[in-house]
Amino acid sequence: MAYTELTVWTRGIIMDKEGRDIVNSISASARIEGKYAQAMENYVDNPDRTNCPTRKYCRVSDDVLENELTYENEHPNIVVLVEGTMVKGWDYMRGMPPGGTLVINTHYTPDYMIRFVPGAERLAQLVCVDAAKIADHKWLYYRLGELGLDRLSTEGAAERNKSIAPDIAAPLIAAVVKTTGIVKMKTIEPMIANKHAFDVALNELHIMTLNPVAV
Amino acid sequence: MPMLAEQKKRTVRINGCVASAQAAKYADVDVIAAYPIRPYTATMMALAQMVANGELDAEYIVADSEHSQLSIAHGAASSGARVFTGSSGVGVQFAYELYSPISGSRMPVQMMIADRTLDPPGDFGSEHTDALSTRDMGWIMGWSCDAQEAFDNHLIAYRIGEDPRVLLPQMVCQDGFFVSHITGDVELPDSGQVKEFLPPYKHPYPLDPRHPVSHGPQIMPEQGPPLQLERARAMEGSMEVIEQAHEEFAKIFGRRYDPWVEEFMTDDAEVVFFLQGAHAVTARFAIQHMRERGLKVGMVRLRTIRPYPTDRVKDVLSKFKVVGVIETNMGLGSVSSGGVLYAEAAAALYESQKRPLILSFMAGMGGEAIVLKEFYWMTEKMLDAQRRGKIEKRTHWVGFEE
Repeated sequence: MAYTELTVWTRGIIMDKEGRDIVNSISASARIEGKYAQAMENYVDNPDRTNCPTRKYCRVSDDVLENELTYENEHPNIVVLVEGTMVKGWDYMRGMPPGGTLVINTHYTPDYMIRFVPGAERLAQLVCVDAAKIADHKWLYYRLGELGLDRLSTEGAAERNKSIAPDIAAPLIAAVVKTTGIVKMKTIEPMIANKHAFDVALNELHIMTLNPVAV
Repeated sequence: MPMLAEQKKRTVRINGCVASAQAAKYADVDVIAAYPIRPYTATMMALAQMVANGELDAEYIVADSEHSQLSIAHGAASSGARVFTGSSGVGVQFAYELYSPISGSRMPVQMMIADRTLDPPGDFGSEHTDALSTRDMGWIMGWSCDAQEAFDNHLIAYRIGEDPRVLLPQMVCQDGFFVSHITGDVELPDSGQVKEFLPPYKHPYPLDPRHPVSHGPQIMPEQGPPLQLERARAMEGSMEVIEQAHEEFAKIFGRRYDPWVEEFMTDDAEVVFFLQGAHAVTARFAIQHMRERGLKVGMVRLRTIRPYPTDRVKDVLSKFKVVGVIETNMGLGSVSSGGVLYAEAAAALYESQKRPLILSFMAGMGGEAIVLKEFYWMTEKMLDAQRRGKIEKRTHWVGFEE
């Protein structure tokens, strides 16, 4: 039975939607492909505060999910850091089984970033993608005014922008799907609002291969 | 007043909070009284958005506290409006003064509860204590175990509460997080189905300057007993209406719920869990796994706790050797020194010729998920009691014992 956990670490409020879009779109795609899947936010992290680390979860399985009510992903196979500086400071690798994937939104290379990763020996690959640049994201400092209009601490209930992955989530989803195959590219691609950033990212991933494990 | 726009039947993936908001929209509520507290807040946010977008024509009033929120609900209902409100945890407690006046004046206000543990020290997790502490205030009350059931229960509860034979407020409860924040496929009905099921609300004696009536005046002590008796009779008499409403719901929407209890794998069961709410979802998986190992275990989920289906609970639970009550609530110093579900289950069984052994399990406290292995552990305790023919200990705190 194939069972995969994906945990996304993001920043409270200002990058909440990005994290939510990643888990929601992958979970929805998996369901389209006939799998059992669930996406949710970490209940205890919310209601979040600006910049606080918060987690979003996705579970994809060939069989019915019996742990649907469990708050947290205990053994994430895939971890995404929506903001590069989150690589330091806490153990986002906790519980990761061998053969995992870590995706980071950063302009640095995997060679540089690997030194900050706790327990990197569990990784099969470290993937760096400059998602903010590729998506020309609005939390770049000179566009903060736009950001303030669109972001409320609402757990997504009153999100103004209903489109999926209009910004940096798009390159990050591309990175996750291309390097892990958690869902099929052709299933998820039609959902993505920022198709340009999604497509560009597919050719701009910096992948460091580490300790692959036989499946 | 513009009616709710025509809606076609469709299935959407939403969580319990949004399902409740959708139900309020389909019920075409007139007044919404809001005050934020986690986890039910998302329901009110979704409703605010519906009102702002023109999907729902309702007065949306943000109160300055839960006490005001329920006061607004009371006043609005008195003028003949269909009212929707809600709360969680300590918010439910802060409004406590209003629960008896609302049921006493026979106003069918509906309140959505997404459970939250009471303080101290401030825990988001689900315990049923918040709503259960108001259980004797004259509100129809029951729990759903997933988003679809939450949606359905709201419509069914309006139909019951607004029935002229009943006229009582309703608390439609769901577990915080386990229902409120977990998404599921929810079938939203065709608006024609809702129209057929839930007729427009009409209170017999609304406050109306054209037809003056008095509500809630000071009374002499001798006028008290008949009013209390009437309220007690309304609660008792609602049982028939509850059964009719569920029957009618099944006919129109195609989803059939037993109004009182869900029985799961109980046909040849010897030991059963007795619980309310979302933990039933995991319990079903645990029971299936234990059945594969040959253990005769099942589950009885209480769907309506007010009015309490005494005879039904007695008849159902009498079939088994051991009943394990999973409390998910605090009854400090109660009969079992555990939760409050035990006492009523035991009382219902008192008149039975075949009384099972009863254990009380304090599980899911603080809003912890009850995981498969904890269901296995509790089953072992029940089987052990069955083998001995007596209980070793009345109340077990799951996770704190060997």
